[in-house]
Amino acid sequence: MISLLLIPASLLIFLVFGMPLIRYVWLSFHASSVITGLIPIPNNGGNWIRLINDLRFWQDTIQTIRFSFVSVTIEIVLALFIALILDQSCKGRGVVRSLTLLPWALPTTIMALGWRWIFNTPYGPIDQLLNHLNIGSLNILSSPNLTWIATVIADVWKTTPFVALILLAGLQTIPEDLYEAFRLEGGTPIQALTKITIPLLKPYIFLGILFRMAQAFGVFDLIQVMTGGGPASSTESIAMYAYINAMRFLDFGYSATVMLGGFILLIISSFTCFILVYHSTNVQEKITS
Amino acid sequence: MKRTYTLYIVIITWSLAPLLWQLYTSFSTTEALIEPFNFTVSSRWTLDNYQQVLTANPPFWRYLMNSTIVGLISTIITLIISIPASYSLVKLKAKPQKIVKLIFFSAALFPYVLLFLALLEIARTLNIGNNLIALTIPYSALSMPLALLLLSSAFKDIPSELEEAARLEGLDIWQRLRWVLIPLIAPATASTAILVFLFSWNEYPIALTWLSNEKLLTLPVAIARIAGSSVYSVPYGAYAAATVLGSIPLLLLVLIFQRQIVSGLTQGAIKG
Repeated sequence: MISLLLIPASLLIFLVFGMPLIRYVWLSFHASSVITGLIPIPNNGGNWIRLINDLRFWQDTIQTIRFSFVSVTIEIVLALFIALILDQSCKGRGVVRSLTLLPWALPTTIMALGWRWIFNTPYGPIDQLLNHLNIGSLNILSSPNLTWIATVIADVWKTTPFVALILLAGLQTIPEDLYEAFRLEGGTPIQALTKITIPLLKPYIFLGILFRMAQAFGVFDLIQVMTGGGPASSTESIAMYAYINAMRFLDFGYSATVMLGGFILLIISSFTCFILVYHSTNVQEKITS
Repeated sequence: MKRTYTLYIVIITWSLAPLLWQLYTSFSTTEALIEPFNFTVSSRWTLDNYQQVLTANPPFWRYLMNSTIVGLISTIITLIISIPASYSLVKLKAKPQKIVKLIFFSAALFPYVLLFLALLEIARTLNIGNNLIALTIPYSALSMPLALLLLSSAFKDIPSELEEAARLEGLDIWQRLRWVLIPLIAPATASTAILVFLFSWNEYPIALTWLSNEKLLTLPVAIARIAGSSVYSVPYGAYAAATVLGSIPLLLLVLIFQRQIVSGLTQGAIKG
């Protein structure tokens, strides 16, 4: 009887997560664009054939993977550093924690435009400093080899606090006497980090990777506002491409196919991650307990 | 001790520097804007940018209001639906409970931006685009997985003897929820509420595709519109002023609810 209370929540979740996916599968087998007057007409898998041969989709896939992989790696390392500092009990820790959390709490669009201004050529502070140092202008946001790095920096700035908190929670589960015993046996602080902290933190590190990988894979707000996918679509992500197909080219059928394609790639990569998690830690108990 | 403080300063600088640059830009005149490190520029400081943002049509506070309305309503809907649902989730048998939780966990992980097209189709079919109240339905639904995970783990932490005792006192299920269980999960409810509010306040892709009426835009969309006008001629001074004004409510929220946010995020990640 009591489980009836689960119905409204489950219905809502099905409405926004389940139904769209079913709709996409259906749409991906139909042509539905301006040409058809947005009336879906079956096209025998034409969208999927187009997707497989679409160089832009694969280029975006490579870009999305590159962006996610580099961002998440830097985030984990930086977050570990921040978590270790925040773990020290010290006066004013609460305020420091709040202030480090601020980048995460702000809307992505606000700071995406803020970063665009910081990387601006020639008026942004970075370009000005480079000129003062006689290195010369780098044209960061108009060179395809540099722009994606700028987006990584903006992403790292925004999401590191989140990862740091997860790792901090992990640090607080490690008993203090473990370090004490290690020190009495003559271990150095660096050894304590590699022999105690990191191994015991592993489940949390993997959780952080899992969460962040899934989010980074769907990166949209940041790219759309900061670079618009440019220059020369060098920073375009899969989600961005799906958005362009739907809203600019008004090709709903193909947009749905791009999203499903991205989703399938995401499942493959999460699955790989998950197998790693399963084999190296006891995280499965944590998830289901 | 001293080293810890030095490191604190490093972290805070890293987190705040980009924001302080916005603050600095927001008070700069156009002449100062193009020479940010030249302090000899005459008439370097100005409040014009703020004036421009506050007197624009529609004025900036309107977007703040819209975001606040959407955030509050989404939070209330989410809590009303997720509290009883979490309670009943904990009462399920071990095996189905594990499966249901795993589904919620995957949903919480899902990059929801991929859902925007189907949600847009729903909005068009039902003709509920450009309606702030309607926007709270997808927001509540998208927040639901996280809310259920957080709240159900809070219900689970309540010793079952406590509810048993209340039952023997003759309280029915609604009375038990109202007088015993809901007060006990108050900290988790607060964490959930603040996280749902932040999500709804910050959400971008759905608001972007649902709203087109200037007066109804939420803050993230309104801000992005400034950028969207042209790649080359973003009015950075006015934009920076908008950023600063838009960040103040969140700065306050983070300072006040730091504890709830932290426990919500870590519980969500770990127990989830």
